[in-house]
Parts: sequence; structure tokens; C-alpha cells
Amino acid sequence: MYSYYFRLGVRSLRRNPALTLLMLLTLAVGVAASISTLTVVHVLSGDPIPAKSAKLLVPQIDNGPVAGYTGTQEPKDLQMSYTDAANLLRSGQGRRRTAMYGVTLPIESPRKDLPAFNATGLASTRDFFAMFDVPFLYGQPWSKADDDKGADVVVLGRATAQRLFGNNNPVGMQVTQRSTPYIVVGVVDTWAPLPRYYKLIGGDPFGRAEEFFIPLNNATQRKIAPSGNVSCEVDREPGFAALLTSECTWLQFWFELGDASERDALHGWLRNYTQDQQRLARLKRNAPVGLYDVMQWMEKLKVVGNDSKLSAWLAFGFLLLCLVNTVGLLLAKFSARAAEIGVRRALGASRMDIFRQFVIETAVVGLAGGVLGLVLAFGALNLIGMQSTAMAAVAHIDWKMLLLTFVVSVLSSLLAGVLPTWRACNVTPAMQLKSQ
Amino acid sequence: MLHMTNLSMVYRTHLIETHALRDFAIHVEEGEFVTVTGPSGSGKTSFLNIAGLLEEFTSGQYILDGVDVKGLDDDARSCLRNEKLGFIFQGFNLIPDLNLYNNVDVPLRYRGFDADERRERIEAALSQVGLSSRMKHYPAELSGGQQQRVAIARALAGSPKLLLADEPTGNLDTQMARGVMELLEEINAAGTTILMVTHDAEMAMRSQRNIHIIDGQVSDVVRGRPSLARIAVPNDVPPTMTA
Amino acid sequence: MTFHPILSALLRSKTGPILVALQVGLSLAILANALHIVDERRAMAARPSGLADEHAIFSISVRDVADMTPELELSAMKRQIDVLRAIPGVVAVANVSQMPLSRSGSTASLALDRRQTRESAQASMYIAGDSLVKGFGLRLIEGRDFLPHEVIEVNLSASMKIPAQGMMTKPLADKLWPQASAVGRTIYFGSGENAQAVQIVGVVERLQSPHAQAGPEAEQSIVIPARLYGAGQGSLLSVRTEAGQRDRVMREAETALVRASPMPQLIRMVTVDDDRNARYRADLALQWALIIVSVLLLLVTCSGIVGMASLWVAQRRKQIGVRRALGARRIDILRYFIAENLIITSCGVVTGLLLGVQLNQLLVSQLEVAHLPFVYLAGGAIMLWILGVAAAWGPAWRAARISPATATRGVTQ
Repeated sequence: MYSYYFRLGVRSLRRNPALTLLMLLTLAVGVAASISTLTVVHVLSGDPIPAKSAKLLVPQIDNGPVAGYTGTQEPKDLQMSYTDAANLLRSGQGRRRTAMYGVTLPIESPRKDLPAFNATGLASTRDFFAMFDVPFLYGQPWSKADDDKGADVVVLGRATAQRLFGNNNPVGMQVTQRSTPYIVVGVVDTWAPLPRYYKLIGGDPFGRAEEFFIPLNNATQRKIAPSGNVSCEVDREPGFAALLTSECTWLQFWFELGDASERDALHGWLRNYTQDQQRLARLKRNAPVGLYDVMQWMEKLKVVGNDSKLSAWLAFGFLLLCLVNTVGLLLAKFSARAAEIGVRRALGASRMDIFRQFVIETAVVGLAGGVLGLVLAFGALNLIGMQSTAMAAVAHIDWKMLLLTFVVSVLSSLLAGVLPTWRACNVTPAMQLKSQ
Repeated sequence: MLHMTNLSMVYRTHLIETHALRDFAIHVEEGEFVTVTGPSGSGKTSFLNIAGLLEEFTSGQYILDGVDVKGLDDDARSCLRNEKLGFIFQGFNLIPDLNLYNNVDVPLRYRGFDADERRERIEAALSQVGLSSRMKHYPAELSGGQQQRVAIARALAGSPKLLLADEPTGNLDTQMARGVMELLEEINAAGTTILMVTHDAEMAMRSQRNIHIIDGQVSDVVRGRPSLARIAVPNDVPPTMTA
Repeated sequence: MTFHPILSALLRSKTGPILVALQVGLSLAILANALHIVDERRAMAARPSGLADEHAIFSISVRDVADMTPELELSAMKRQIDVLRAIPGVVAVANVSQMPLSRSGSTASLALDRRQTRESAQASMYIAGDSLVKGFGLRLIEGRDFLPHEVIEVNLSASMKIPAQGMMTKPLADKLWPQASAVGRTIYFGSGENAQAVQIVGVVERLQSPHAQAGPEAEQSIVIPARLYGAGQGSLLSVRTEAGQRDRVMREAETALVRASPMPQLIRMVTVDDDRNARYRADLALQWALIIVSVLLLLVTCSGIVGMASLWVAQRRKQIGVRRALGARRIDILRYFIAENLIITSCGVVTGLLLGVQLNQLLVSQLEVAHLPFVYLAGGAIMLWILGVAAAWGPAWRAARISPATATRGVTQ
């Protein structure tokens, strides 16, 4: 019976091509607009590391001056000072921990034909790679010994290694960064979580991936200045050494827990730590300690910008308009079939039969609209991709959104069809036959 | 009142030419009650449409109440219809979304009467047909006979000179039909010319004057003045107002 | 034209009219808000940066590949400036710490009094070793430019000294000293005893911050005369050329700089035009998206009105014939349908006005959108009224063409 209704539905679509095309287009455009904007929001707010996102945590310590502090304001910058970062690294809390800051260095290649170029990289501890599940193409992260003493070792990004050494394994080779020779200990495979949630502050979290990684201690020993946000609420002395001891914030810190349940314990430890620091008169404000997991951190830093949300909302408003429009079109379509319904009822169809027939017919409209909507959504996403590099990376349909397209389309169609189908069921056979 | 001479009406649908009326002639004087009969396809409806200025004819002459209809544009015909004619249809043709008051009001609005004049006329017309108590009701709430009487009230409200009725009792049972016929005879007695198309051969035979149309041409029979209302009741039961 | 019977007829079969009115309402609500946002973004992207001719200015960042001592860095910078000034077509070269619209820069906390605990303003800080009035072509409206002896040289590895003079933009000056001139007044960087005092010697009409934010912060900038060196980051130089000469100068600049330096360097050049496009790219994209949605909105609503009106004409063919039979002229029928459409559209417009205000309040509270001025709702309403009548005209015209004979012959003829 259902395949019969399906065929009836398809035939009915063909009967009045102009009306059908109008209905399909209206539905498709509404679906396309909603799905494309929703895709952007979905990708932007997606969990980049689902297996661990509840176990990776950012601590946030307010080390601002007490003058003018009202007790409730948020700190201006959410990064960490070197003193706190070093203390927390030494603390042994959590399963692993890492601190990082962005650096920009000129890299000279051993090849004479390749000129030097400016590369953006990350100075971090070795745990970084294990914490964020960074895949390696060659080699491995530097050793703990190298990490502690800040040796001149470097892990290259895949593109950079390619550029410098072609397809060869560069482990053990040397690159010169700012006149200093560094030994390559590993090459990171293509790894581009979007956004780069581990370092959301400073730089473009949707831009190019890191080109190299060096040990944090190496960067601080060699006085490599941070290339990113540096926020100093109190005056500081000049020079890199003064930067390390000042209360300027310029590092980003992550804990990894063995299990998400350890979170409260960590929070407690952090509160004790800040109280200790307050007693030492280092931390001046009596401010609460923040602790954010990956999703909370992305939410706090507004990774899904207002513009994307605005687009999504307006798109759904547009879908609603298309829905109301479709109700009208379906009413018109079904009311023209009142005679047919009357005859069917006279020939023995129950109200349920009529209901089923028209629900299926509505679903057929929804499916056809979904196909068209998908095509349009691809186009829309291409347009969205032209907005910025961020959008270009993000504006892609995955299979979940593909499925959602059809679900949204069929549901919208069914919703729009509720009233017309109900009216169709209530057509009395006699009245329709007589007014012929 | 109504004078047609040498009237022809030709239809062209696709490539087929149909002569609905050929060399048609008819003269109706003021105050007459004329029935029009004929088999299906004979041209009755075309005649009625032309008489009612609903359609244009191909050739010939039609003078309605002294006005030569030929050459009038659509607007002028509409005005003439509005002022001089009244229509009663087999299917009543009341507007379902309007109540009785507003239904009778429709032609008066096009006439341009002010609100007071319209109200007077509507009330007068509805009381003439005996339905003034149900002014605010809707057509769906009335029986067939009542609906037809509202249609008559609508036709009368503008004080027309000529009333055109297209099988007015066709959708009514015998009791209702007789009521409507009596009403029509009353109206005719008051001076309005009535031209009525009917299927009922008996009614036609008993009418004062019958025009029979076959194949677009006329055969005219004039008689005395029996009551058409009596025909509606086969047995001789005294007529009572029902419906 | 009489509305009362039309209105009562509409109320009898409400579904269709409600659907159309709802579409009109939704369209108006979304349209007004969308167009308002488009206007806001357009206005924001059109703001001038304060630079005399943006098409003629570009920035160069030069960095030596090898490490240099601070003294070598300073002499390298001065040499680069001389080399650039020698290129024909160059109007001015300035060493500067940041470029407007480049989305990279720093801010400073300013206080009117040392004893304050809270800042009076936060300003974008331009630290320039050469005149920015010449280098950017800024419009000086009060006071004067810096004198040569007022420009200090600061070795960042050794000192954080701030010069004693400064220059600010008029919006910043108005914020700090609302009624008075800023010239001659003193401002403090930071607060507390160690806050450094800076005396304002000049006021420029405008100079946007690198981030060019949406709010008034974008126009609050301060310029201090200092040549910074010794941070190991190389130098940032802004070059202003004669009109139309920029691209040629860029090519010659690169060659000249490479030739003038004994050591390998990393040179990166960015035009202000590129910076501006990059800064407002996302806003432009949003504008286009909103415009496309608005056009689609109007199309969908138009099709809805045309569809409904056509349906009602088709459903009421007989009734139209009867009206004609009763004396209606063609124009009476036309007027009837247009009036009917006007009633429905007006109900839709009223709904849309209410919905539009609600939607705006939601956007204001959730997405930091600006408050909607009434003119957008009014304009949208007029647009939809016109659209409604235009859309209904076709079906109404066809209705008027229906022959009066429909009353007797029936619909099939």
C-alpha cells in the first residue's frame, strides 16, 4: 500500500509541474539556508577531541593588581604569567601538564637555494604532544632530559619538513633558527584541528598550523620573545628576564587528568595554591580560580562568533517563512484534489487511508525538496567559504549534516502538511460528488 | 420592454463553430410573465445570457427598456444590468461568506446608494420575501426554499424593470417550489416583467405565454392567465405558505 | 471602497488569510533586522582610517636572519629608512610600532591623575620614531607635530622609558577633556607612583586602531615619539608614496633593501588596502548573506501572495460571475481583490512590526546587535505593502476578466 501511495505522490508532483517546482524550490531554499549556516555553527562548536575533552583543563588565575579591583570583574587577559606556569608545571598535578607560547623565528635551510623564511611555531613542554594526541610522521617528541635542560632540539611540522628536506626523513638533521643550530628530533604528521583549541589566544586559531615546536625552556633560555598576546597590568622592567619574573601574562597552560572525576580535586589544589601565593603577597587579588575543559574554554573565548550564530538564526527564520508558504501551497494542491478524495472515499477509502496517502505525498515533497536543498546547500557553503580562511576550512558538509538535510526537509514538509492533510481527511464523499 | 430582432449568436470553440441562436426574434411587453422552454442545447441559456447582458451577441438588434444594447461597452452593460435587471438562478448563487443582509446588499453597493437608502431597500426586500427576522444568518443555515427567496430579495432590492429567472424551482421540493412561484406571481402582479426559463413542460403549458426554443429558433405560444403556482401541487390541496 | 463586507467574508474562512498575513509578518520582521545589520556593517567598513591616501601607503617589516645586538639593530633601521627615502616617488617613511587595520597592535592604559586606581581610557598606542603626521598623512587639527629633539630612542632590552610628549586623536581628547582642548594637558601611562607623565602637544582628527573595532574604541589612539629597538624582532616601517606610485615603489623598495644590507634579511610588505580588505572581509560576506536572504524572503512572500490570490480567484469564479451579473464592473472586481489583499497585508504588517521588535530585542540581548531604529520597520512595511498589491494585481486582473456568464453557465465554460 505504501509503495502505491509513494507512486501516487510522485505522480501528483508531475501533474502540475509549475506548482511542484515552486513548492520544491521554496522548501529547498529554506532547507539550504538553514543547513549551511547550521553546518558552520556545528563545525565551529564541535568537540575537537571527544575522547579527552572533559579531561583537558585550562586553569585561570587572576594575578592583576588590587588597586581599583571591585571584586567581581573578569581579568583582562586569560593567559598565565611565567611564575604561575613554572609553579604549576612543577606541581605534578594531574596526569600530565604543559605550558606554551607562540614564537616567530627565521629558519634557515641547509639548502643553499632556499632563502630563509619567517616561521611561526610553539614553545612548549614535551607532554604537549601526548596530551593533544599529536600524530608523528617521523621520530618522536624530545626526551625529558632535553625538555628539562632546554636543549636545542626542534620538532617540525609536516609542511615545513617537506619544504626544507623534501620527502626525506629529517630526524637527526640540523636547521638553523636565528643563527642557532637545532637538531630535528621528529616531524608531526598532518594535524589541523579547527579551531586550534589548545592555543586560542593570540594569532588566528583558524590560520596555518604550527611550523615548528621547541622546548619551552629552550625558548626562555634563548630569550625568544613571545609572538602573541602579552598583557601587563602592572609596569615591568625592560628585558626578557624581567618579563619572566613580572606579572605579565603571556603563556597558555593545560592540565590533563587521568579521569574527569579528578577535576574537583584539581580545583581544590589550585585554590590552595592561589591562597599560598596570596600569603606570599605575590597574588594581590582575592579572586576565584577558573578551571575550564575544552568545550567550556571554547565557549568562553567565543569560538562560535556572533556572526555565525546570527546567520544561523536568520536562516531558521527564513525556513519558518518557507514552511508557512509551503502550508499554503499544499492547501492549494490538496484542495484541488477534493473531487478525487470524494471519489476515493465513496469507493471505500477510510479517513485513515486518505491520511496515509497524503502524509506519504507530503513526505515525497520533503524528500525531493531535500535533494534540491542539498545541492543548494553545497552552493551556499561555497559562498560562505569565501568569507575568510576560517570559514573556508569550516564550511564543509559531513555525513551527519547530509543526513540532517533530509531529516529537516522531510520534517518541515510533514509539519507544513499537517493542516492540509487534516483538511483532506475531512472531505465528505457526498458533497464533492454532488457539486460536480 | 425587451425586443430582439434578427439576433444571432455564434460560438467559436477551437475550430468548431456553433450557432447558439440564429435569426432569433422576440418581443416582451412590460408586465408580462413569460416562460421559456426548450431541450438541452437548444440555446435557452444563451438567450437568457444575452437577455441579461451577460454575454454579447454576434449580430442583430436587442433593445432593452428603450436602450439599444449594441455598442455598449462592458462598464455600460454592467450599469444597465445593475439598474434594470434582476437575476434568480437555479443554484441560488448566494455568497456563502456573507450573511443575508450583506448578500442582498451586493448589487446596491455597485449602484452607489448611500447607507440609509441601502438599509431601507434591504429591509423592504427581505420583509417582502418573509425573511427579515433572519437578516444576520448565513445561507448555509437556510433551507433551499429560503435561500431562493433571499436570492429573489436580492434581485428585487434594486427595483428592477425585468426579472430573469433560470429554473428557479429546479432545486426545490414541491412545497418550496409553490411558495417561490406564488412570490413570483405577486411580484409580477405588482408590475415587474418576468422572464422565466423552465424545464417543466406542464408549467410552460399553463403559463400565460410560452416561448419555445429549438435549435436556436423560436416558436411562440400565447394563452390566457392561469396560475403557475397551482402546477407545483399535483393534487388540489389548498396552497399554504411553507418552507 | 467598502471594507466591511470584505472583512467579514475573510473572517469566515480564516486559514488562507492567516497564512498570507503570517508570511508578510515574518518577512517584515526578518527583513527590517537584516537590512539594519547590513547598513551598520556597511557604515562600519566605510569608516576612514585617518590616513591621507590609503592606496598610497604600505608597510615593510624587515628582520635580519641572524641575531643582532641592539646597537646594530638601530643602525640597520636608520639605514633602511635612508634607503627607502631615496627611492623616487616616496613622500615619507616612518618607523612605527603598528599599522592601522592590521589587526595586530598594542593598547595602553591612560589615567588623568596618578592617584587613580581605575584607568580613564584605554587607547591604541602608536610608538613612532618618525613623524606620523607626515608618514600617514594625518590631519593635525590642534597644536603641533613633535619636534626632532622630542623623539627619544629606546633600547627595549634595557629600558621602558616613555617620551615626555604625546599626540592623541580628537575622540580620545574629547573623552578625557570633554569641553577643553587637550593641548598642553598631561596624561599618565598606567597609574600609581611610577606612572609616566606625558604632555599632549597635538591633536589629530582621526587615527584608527589596528583592530578597528565596531565601537568608539576604534578611534581612540595615542601617538608617542620613540624609536624602539633591541627586541630582536627587526623593524616595522611605513612608506607613503605619491598617488599611483605605490606598486612600483614596493618593487624598488625590496630590491633596494636587499642591496643595502650585507646580511640576509626577511622582508615582508603589506599594503593598507590589503589590511582593510582582510579586516572587513567577514563583514562584507555577512552583508551579502543577509542581502541574499532578504531577496529570497521577498520572492517567497511574493509567490505566497500570488499563489493564495490565484487560488481564491479560482475558488470564487462563480461568485465573481454572480457579482458581475448583479452589476459589478470589472474595476469593482479588481478593487475588491486589491482591497482584500490590502487588509491581509496590513494585518501582516502589524504582526511584522511586533515580531520585528521582538526579534531585535532577542538579537540585542543574545548577539550584541544594535538596537533597531523604527525607520527600517517603516521602510520594510512600505516595501511589503507595495509588494502585496503588486503580487495580487495579476490574479485580481484575471478575476476582473471573468465573464458574467459564469453565473449561469458555470465554471467550466
